[in-house]
Amino acid sequence: MSSHILSARNLSKVVPSAEGQLTILDDLSLQLAAGDSLAIVGSSGSGKSTLLGLLAGLDLPSSGSIDLAGHDLASLDEDQRARVRAEHVGFVFQSFQLLDSLNALENVMLPLELEGRADARQQAAELLDRVGLGQRLSHYPRQLSGGEQQRVAIARAFAAQPDVLFADEPTGNLDSHTGAHISDLLFELNKERGATLVLVTHDEHLAQRCNRLIRLEGGQLVGQQAC
Amino acid sequence: MTNLPLLRLFKLALRQLLREARAGEIRVLFFALLVAVAASTAIGYFSARLNSGMQLRASEFLAADLRLSASTQASPEQIEAGLALGLNHASSVEFSSVIATDTGIQLASVKAVNEAYPLRGRLKSAAQPYAQEQVSAGPKLGEAWAEARLFAALNLKAGDSIDVGNKTLRLSRVLTYEPDRGGDFYSLTPRVLINLADLDATGVVQPGSRVKYFELWSGESDALAQYKTALQPTLAANQRIQGARDSNRQIGGALGRAERYLNLSSLAAVLLSGVAVALSATRFAARRFDASALLRCFGLSRRQALTLYSIQLGLLGLSACLCGALVGWLAQYGLFFLLDGLLPGEIPAAGVWPALAGIATGLVALAGFALPPLAALGRVPPLRVLRRDMLPVPASSWLVYGAALLALGLIMWRLSLDLPLTLALLGGGLLTACLLGGLLLLALRSLRRMMAQASLPWRLGLGQLLRHPLAAAGQSLAFGLIILAMALIALLRIELLSTWQDQLPADAPNQFALNIVPAEKEAFAQQLQAISPHAAPLYPVVPGRLTAINGQAVRQLVSKDSRGERATQRDLSLTWAADLPGDNQLVAGSWWSQEKREIPGVSVEEKLAENLELKIGDTLTFNVGGLNREARVTSLRSVDWNNFQPNFYMIFEPGTLQDMPVTYLTSFYLPAGNDKQLVELSRAFPAVTLLGVDALLSQLRSILAQVTLAIEFVLAFVLAAGFAVLFAGLQTTLDERIRQGALLRALGAERKIVINARRAEFAMLGATSGVLAALGCELISYLLYRYAFNLEWSPHPWLLILPVIGALAVGAAGIWGTRKALNSSPLTVLREG
Repeated sequence: MSSHILSARNLSKVVPSAEGQLTILDDLSLQLAAGDSLAIVGSSGSGKSTLLGLLAGLDLPSSGSIDLAGHDLASLDEDQRARVRAEHVGFVFQSFQLLDSLNALENVMLPLELEGRADARQQAAELLDRVGLGQRLSHYPRQLSGGEQQRVAIARAFAAQPDVLFADEPTGNLDSHTGAHISDLLFELNKERGATLVLVTHDEHLAQRCNRLIRLEGGQLVGQQAC
Repeated sequence: MTNLPLLRLFKLALRQLLREARAGEIRVLFFALLVAVAASTAIGYFSARLNSGMQLRASEFLAADLRLSASTQASPEQIEAGLALGLNHASSVEFSSVIATDTGIQLASVKAVNEAYPLRGRLKSAAQPYAQEQVSAGPKLGEAWAEARLFAALNLKAGDSIDVGNKTLRLSRVLTYEPDRGGDFYSLTPRVLINLADLDATGVVQPGSRVKYFELWSGESDALAQYKTALQPTLAANQRIQGARDSNRQIGGALGRAERYLNLSSLAAVLLSGVAVALSATRFAARRFDASALLRCFGLSRRQALTLYSIQLGLLGLSACLCGALVGWLAQYGLFFLLDGLLPGEIPAAGVWPALAGIATGLVALAGFALPPLAALGRVPPLRVLRRDMLPVPASSWLVYGAALLALGLIMWRLSLDLPLTLALLGGGLLTACLLGGLLLLALRSLRRMMAQASLPWRLGLGQLLRHPLAAAGQSLAFGLIILAMALIALLRIELLSTWQDQLPADAPNQFALNIVPAEKEAFAQQLQAISPHAAPLYPVVPGRLTAINGQAVRQLVSKDSRGERATQRDLSLTWAADLPGDNQLVAGSWWSQEKREIPGVSVEEKLAENLELKIGDTLTFNVGGLNREARVTSLRSVDWNNFQPNFYMIFEPGTLQDMPVTYLTSFYLPAGNDKQLVELSRAFPAVTLLGVDALLSQLRSILAQVTLAIEFVLAFVLAAGFAVLFAGLQTTLDERIRQGALLRALGAERKIVINARRAEFAMLGATSGVLAALGCELISYLLYRYAFNLEWSPHPWLLILPVIGALAVGAAGIWGTRKALNSSPLTVLREG
């Protein structure tokens, strides 16, 4: 068993396109210890989100291997990967991905209910209180601002107490002021809960708050630094 | 999830469903299913109840629900079996006898009945000939009732005595109506009704006498069916069972067609339900792609995600179907309440079956039409949370269309119980859908070229359709199917009603005159002309029995209980004619020419020829007046048995039977209130038997009126359901359009431009749907006329109005549905997504 919570070796992703095979990620390796935080930066189309999807087990690489919490993702089928996600992974998305038909409380309760937790409601309410939305429990996503929606999404991501939190452009849809608040919240909660954070961002300030940073260009790793 | 028990998944699905219901997310699917099941159930109840009402009326022709007739008495075991099932029982016995009085004698058809007779319908009688008739119980012991013409023939009055065999009976009343008189009236002499308890005393019925015994039964349909089944193996060769439907050809035909119509209407409701479910389930699934991807991110397996949504859809379907059945049940109650004064007779309740059938229909439609889009939810890739363009791999077309066709086929088969018809309709429908779908796609693509010249609203509106031609073709096909279902039901209604009106015009013959002797033929025809404007020709009649076909005895050739057997067990009315009668049509062979033949020709009615397996050129042997006569089959004819004109199984070549003793027969229309002239006619020609069929006609008219009413209301139901489904269906396609409208307004487009663009788009969508509906309706009506209704098909130019109706209906519904995009602020719409 590796001491790393997350490691990738020689990852490549190639997809067919009208012009032939298109290489999105090319021979990329990285390792991340538990409690670490990693920022993946790069221009649009550099392969950041593809890498995030592969690391989180949402997709399979064309070649190479990924080890997440001791599981070799490339050797697992989709349902087995789903089980790994359920036990170890949380997500925060650029477009929040809240369910329109559920209110704030119900959105946060969802992963807890999936686990069959009897205290789902209480836990969810506490988390929402923690992110400053204690008074907005019964509000639907359309009644919340972008920043508030992202706070609900963060509460939901931490609800299942994940080992690794993947965040895809968590402040991408927000103004800089709100974005700053959201990133504060994200890092605070991450610290409190001891999770490993992998985030994809364009925002250099946000990226600099992580322990490590890798930079992608045309699917290749062009630089990495410790912050 | 490592382990997510089904119960927890169920609870979660239920909770999610309730939350979504509260948020108004599932309203459209729920409403579409509810409308479809409500229409299906209401039509089911309406047809079931009216059908039993009509059966009840039709039962009057037998005076019972079921009749066992025979030339010998039924065995005690046969009677016991019926009584043991709790059925009501009555008996009657019929025979011919000479009625003797002080003034003369007259051959009469005597009927002895017990107190329970009739079980269906009522006996009517009057104190004096042609006096006001009243409903009452039959003749008491020692009494007899007789028809007015017996009073006239023997110069009798009420209170006189008559002798029936050895028994003298007091003639107490004039018989004016007996429900089961319809029957074989060619051989009828005046009716005398006596009490069955007097029968033995008359001494008329002896072993070997020609007597007909009738055991009449009524009761619950299950018990009747059970009795009929139990009776079958015990039947002697001379015994025959008849139900209401067999009793009268006109009624049987009308009921059969009405039933098929009502079933087809239910089918139209099912089709509407299918379209509604398919449209709204697709939307149900599409709006859950994100949620499904998210749940997969949270660790739900593909199977668990699919189970979760299946449970949701199942619960939703079940609750919508239950509510729909309740609404349908209430709707038919309301309808019968409103129609209380219009419907003749009692309308029995229909039990729980139509509601269960409605629910089952809804669930089967849901399974067939919603499973394919639902299955897509299980295939949503979890990566969609990062890349919204990731869509589930589309299901195999075989699965999608196969499931829908299987569901539709199952329901059609249940409703029609006719496999060839189901396959013909399914095949025809599929072919139409493929052909028209292809045409539509081509038409949409060719529109692109015309777009460059069009004004901005048209470019915007049509651009929306052209951007996704496949989706537009699908929507157009769905709305086309809705309009088709409505148009087809309307079209069949018009056709059936006019067929029935033709069958029974206001001046349909209501009197038959039989036994006109040659010496009185001219005088009778003259007097008849004076009282009736529409008399049929006088047909010569010679009684004769078919004894052999191609030299082989006919008894060895016919099967038991067939029409052929009945036709060979009694004398047929043989006639001759130089020309083919008006309502007859040659279906094989040729009518006779002038040339002389060695064996004379005979033209045979086609159904009888089919039963006897006769072909052109076969030689038939008839026993006529004790002599054998041969004739060769030269043609086969179709006969309209419903026209109340004298009709014949066998028409001979002229010059063949003239040397035999002949009488003449005709039918005529006598306007109401001319009874006196009828009495005069009867007195002037005492040997002629006059038989009124007014009662039969009015019974028939009353049943047809009931059927007509049923059809009118069912049509209204189908139309209402159709429009409701159209509106609901359209709602499912509006998300993108509302957003686009808001975007246009945000970009500065005037409200008017957006409205005009919508108008152009929806009117075009509606018009193409109308064209599809018109073409599909013609094709399917052709199949139905040919295979289900036996009607002549001709094109229906009025269907060309369907594109206009489609454009108006879809246009109005579209504008109404997208009003939100026009009336609220664009920002609100865009923010709410």
